[in-house]
Amino acid sequence: MERVTPYRTYWILWVILLALTTIMIVTEGAGLPRAATMAVVLGAMVTKVTLIGGWYMHLKFERAALIAAVVGGTFATAALLFFLIAVDAVAMLRMAP
Amino acid sequence: MTTPGAPALEVHWQGGVSPFGVPWQKLMMWFFLVTDALLFAGFLGGYGFVRLASPSWPEQSDVFPMLKIAAMTFILITSSATMATAVGAAHRRDLQRAMTFVLLTALVGATFLAMQAIEWTTLIQEGARLTSNPWGPPPFSAFFFMITGFHGSHVLLGVILLSVTAARLRKGRASGLGVEVLGLYWHFVDVVWCFIFPLFYLL
Repeated sequence: MERVTPYRTYWILWVILLALTTIMIVTEGAGLPRAATMAVVLGAMVTKVTLIGGWYMHLKFERAALIAAVVGGTFATAALLFFLIAVDAVAMLRMAP
Repeated sequence: MTTPGAPALEVHWQGGVSPFGVPWQKLMMWFFLVTDALLFAGFLGGYGFVRLASPSWPEQSDVFPMLKIAAMTFILITSSATMATAVGAAHRRDLQRAMTFVLLTALVGATFLAMQAIEWTTLIQEGARLTSNPWGPPPFSAFFFMITGFHGSHVLLGVILLSVTAARLRKGRASGLGVEVLGLYWHFVDVVWCFIFPLFYLL
């Protein structure tokens, strides 16, 4: 789908992405509890990926079928991959002396 | 077109002509990116398992110059913004601006690569190898070289493609769709770094 986004939108996003990256770095060095650090850093990571995918890669303007195939397909297959790795990982951890 | 005697599939097919509503070039790029994403998902999944299974793991801030890594991240994000601007210009048929921003993206990408080369050189001089390193478990450096190496090779390919596209834009041969498809690839490289940076360097 052809859709022209204003240039300004891309540069506003750029500022937001830089700010999120700064938040990640500052949080990691702030000495917060591990769970809080992980929540902030991973939350910022997911937000950044969503912004890039949605606006820079124009997924926001594509049909639901494409979004489902691309995003859903990737995450479903990755989840399966991680599950298969996890099964092996747990088994190997149990075998460890 | 149907072959005489063969069942006419289009008679039974009731779906749309273009269910995804995108040109085939763009769809093929998306499919490629999905498969490539799974490659990196496998790397990061394996890294996560090995790290959890290792009794100790080096503190990243002791090994990596975090300011330099942060600068590399800022640089890659900037290249995404310049690429998005190039795609926007190509859609507006403003080929001069598109060429300028594609070239700018290539330059920024090359800067990222140069910084990565310096990072690799420093770590190798400090004793990091694929099979061993001075900071602890051998998989630490193995995963570092493998994950950042694969990502870097994607950046390198992107810089080459961007340079070729800039030259084609200069000659008026590149289309808006071509720039957009290349933009998808470049943004994907940025997305992958969005995962690598926190999972490998920060957490």
